[in-house]
Parts: sequence; structure tokens; C-alpha cells
Amino acid sequence: MRIEGAAIAGSGMVRFGNHRDRSLASLARDAGLAALHDAGMTLADVDEAFVGYIQPKVLVGVKAMKELGLTGLPVTHIENASATGLVALREAAWAVASGRARVAMAIAFDKMTDMAGGGGGGRGAGRDELDSTILPAAYFALWAQRRMHERGTTPEHFAAVAAKNWNHGALCPMSHRRPDHTVTVEEVLASQVIAEPLTAMMICPADDGAACVIVAADDVVRARQPGRRIVRPVASVLRSETYSPGHTFLGPVVGPATMTRDTALAAYDDAGLGPEDVDLAFCHDAFANEEIDYYELLGFCPEGDGEKLLMEGETTLGGRIPFNTDGGLIARGHPGGPTGLAMVHEIVQQLRGEAEGRQVEGARTALAHLVGGGSVCTVNLFRAE
Amino acid sequence: MTRIPIEDGYFTVPDDPTERPRLLGSRCPACGEHFFPRRHVCAACLAEGCEDVELGPRGRLWTWTYVHVPLFAKKDRRVDAYGVGQVDLPEGPRVQAILVGGRDDFEIGMELELDLETLRVDESTGDETVIFRFRPLAEGAAR
Repeated sequence: MRIEGAAIAGSGMVRFGNHRDRSLASLARDAGLAALHDAGMTLADVDEAFVGYIQPKVLVGVKAMKELGLTGLPVTHIENASATGLVALREAAWAVASGRARVAMAIAFDKMTDMAGGGGGGRGAGRDELDSTILPAAYFALWAQRRMHERGTTPEHFAAVAAKNWNHGALCPMSHRRPDHTVTVEEVLASQVIAEPLTAMMICPADDGAACVIVAADDVVRARQPGRRIVRPVASVLRSETYSPGHTFLGPVVGPATMTRDTALAAYDDAGLGPEDVDLAFCHDAFANEEIDYYELLGFCPEGDGEKLLMEGETTLGGRIPFNTDGGLIARGHPGGPTGLAMVHEIVQQLRGEAEGRQVEGARTALAHLVGGGSVCTVNLFRAE
Repeated sequence: MTRIPIEDGYFTVPDDPTERPRLLGSRCPACGEHFFPRRHVCAACLAEGCEDVELGPRGRLWTWTYVHVPLFAKKDRRVDAYGVGQVDLPEGPRVQAILVGGRDDFEIGMELELDLETLRVDESTGDETVIFRFRPLAEGAAR
């Protein structure tokens, strides 16, 4: 179903990076205030909030919201691993589209530097212990190795994705990694091998951060922001895995690639749009090899042509369908929950025509994709009027 | 000294150390699909009451990688580098596991067999906590 009557009122974020010395609540406060200021609102205007965070702490979301005020608004927690931020946005968009709320906030915060050994590991015993003995990079490397076997993809292709995203990050003030030189394929390949064929520069950093997006009814945004170009979420699809033979149940796994294809098809269908309408896209590039698969699974090129699309520069700024214009997870960073809302923050600037130094000319339609824990996928479409 | 599985219900620990361990899985009585680990509801046809079966001990390598940073569960064991793979069992399930062997020992499509590896030894009792791994089938091993 297409999302009708909802628009982005404001967005803001804390630049991702190492914020070891800061509390989750203070990160949430800064991102929330940035979005409220952008929207010209205070918490008194917000009818409902959806709070995303990955770490298992009881009520940390409600407590963090108190930093913005105590107005009695309903607060709901969202946790869907890396997809958390976009799923919080999905709930906010539908809360407004359904008429239940006039204004809804999606906010997320996380500190990966607090997590033992990085995402997904070191928790509990028993099955959890069996489940967490493998480094996340390893299971995406398994995917990369299979693609190399089937398609003849080379480590140079994966390095080209990473170099592109590092270089996009250099242009975005909110990117964690802002290299002071043009990153080359050779430099990426020469960094430490983590899980073959993935090197350190092909992998996102473990970040801390927060981000917030406020969705409001069309007329609220029009009344408060006359003259500003309206950006709307028009489709938001969330899916979990469909069983197919050979499904891997135990251990951190990436999930079937078809999950992204099915989710994207449903999102295009909901929006009444196709990949040919999309001007820029964002995907779960936590590991560089993923991005090439998503070019195909999101419909931007035929299966097997991902490397060609990449090497011809079509997914670089200035190309036909720029991917991850803010640097993506690899450069802008990936604190977990906030990541999807940082994508939306960049999309809002791009579709308003305010992405200075990295503007996609004439951009009207953007796509945001994330997978979470290999077990869920969300694809979201945004359109400027 | 006894070998104790890191978690009950996932793999057998034969009394005879020369015998291969097997994975503890399920088979759907309605559609025949096999699963690892055990489950009650069939993921393929949603029938209830899957039956316990033993799977393996051999399979084929679907994909693999070699990891050059320390093992995630550092409390168990320290190693410099290790293989990780997904192994297709003849019954159908694809199992993700640590691989035993060196950087150059693996190739997609090769046959592997299940083995047990000691994670830690209780110094007072001598009991060993073991986990399953896959290792390349020894040259000339009996089929």
C-alpha cells in the first residue's frame, strides 16, 4: 500500500564516530533536537515516537526521550538489527498516514563501542554461544567468495565499491570517514585482510551515533515550512526470510539474497514506481561485496551485470544511479540503529536540493535499503514533489 | 575424562573417539524436508511434529572464507586464523561452521566430514568441552 499524506518535517543526526565519553541519552538528545529544530518544532508538537536501538537494555529508549521532554507521548521500541532505523521510520510514516498521529518521530541511537567484540557476538551461552562464534565479516565474506566462484568477480571489484564510498564520504560533512586524498583500489586492497577476500577498508567501522527524522501530515509541513520542497516517504516494505531449501538456520548468516529482491519488488509496486524512476539509492554496504549484489537485486541492472554497472561509474556521483552519496555504511559509518535514519537525513538533503558538494542534479526519487541480522530486509522509497 | 558437548541437542559425541560425530536434526514426516538444528514445525510445509534424525557426517563445501583476526568467542580459544564455511549435507540442510585446516586446504565443492574439537579442559576433572567442526576428508578415506 502506498503511503499517502505523510511528509518529512525535519531530520538531524550526530556525526557517527567514537563517542565513548558520551551517554546514549545525550546522543539521542542532540539528534532529536537537531531534527526538531529542522522541523521548527518542540516535543510538544510530537504525537508519537518510535525509538530504535540494538543493545539489550530495558526502557533505555523511553529514558532517552525524557532528554527532549516529558509530554506523555507514546513511545515504542524498535529493534531489527541494522535495519532498525528504517523500520522506526516505517512506523512513524504509517502512524501519520493512518491518521493516528499528526506528527511522529523516528529516533535511534547506539554505541557499538560498548558492545563486546562488535555486533552480534559475545552474548550469553548455549545456543547463543554456538550462534556467535563467527565474526560478522566472515559470513558476508562467504557470500563474496560464492559470487567470485559463480560470476568471476574479483577482489578489485569489491575494492572499487569501497573506494567509491570512501570518496563519497570525503564530500559529506556527516561522514565519519573523510579521507584527505582520493582513495584508490590499490589502497583498499593493501589494507589488512580480515576475512578473505574482505580487507579492513571494505568493512564499515563500529560506530557510536544517533539520528532522528520527524514525519508529519502534509498540511502540517506545508503550514510550517512554506516555500520548502516537500519530501515524502511513499513506500516502506519490511520482510523477513522466506524458506527455501539450503536455508542456514544456525549461526550468524546473511539470509537469502532473494529477500532483497522480493522486498524491492513489493516497494516498487506499493509506490507505483520502478527502478528506472530512482535517481539515487542507499544500501547495506557494511561489507563492500554486498553493494554489487544489491545493484542487481534492487533492479538497477540485470543479474550478473553488477560489476559492469560499477566499473562504468554509473553508481558513482555523476553516474546514472549514484549509490551511497554520503559514503554509505563504509564511510559515513554504521552505529546500528541510527544508520537507516542517517540515510534518510541524506535523502532529505538530496531531494531538497541542499546536498552541497555532492548534489545529484534534479533528484526527485530516492531508495533506501537495509538488511538486519541477515534475517530482515526493508526497502523504502522517497519522492520530492 | 569425558567429552561434553558445548550445548546438548546439536551433535553426538561418540564414546569411541575414532567414530565420526553426527549432527542432530529433524525430518518432516509430511513433506520429508530435513533441518538442522532440530525443530518442531516444518519450515517448508508448516506441519507439526518433525522427527529427530541424525545428519552427516559428510557434506560438500558450498562456500568458505579464511579469517585473519582472532576467533570471536575469545574466552574459548585463541587462534591466529581459521576457516569458516557453509557445508551442504546430503540430506539437504546447509550448515555454517568453523573449518579445520590451513588457508590452502579448501575449495568449493570439496567433500568434508564432521569432527569434534576441544574448546577447553576442566583442570579438576579433565573433562573436555567440545564443539563440532568440518575438516577436509582425508585422502583415500573409506567412502
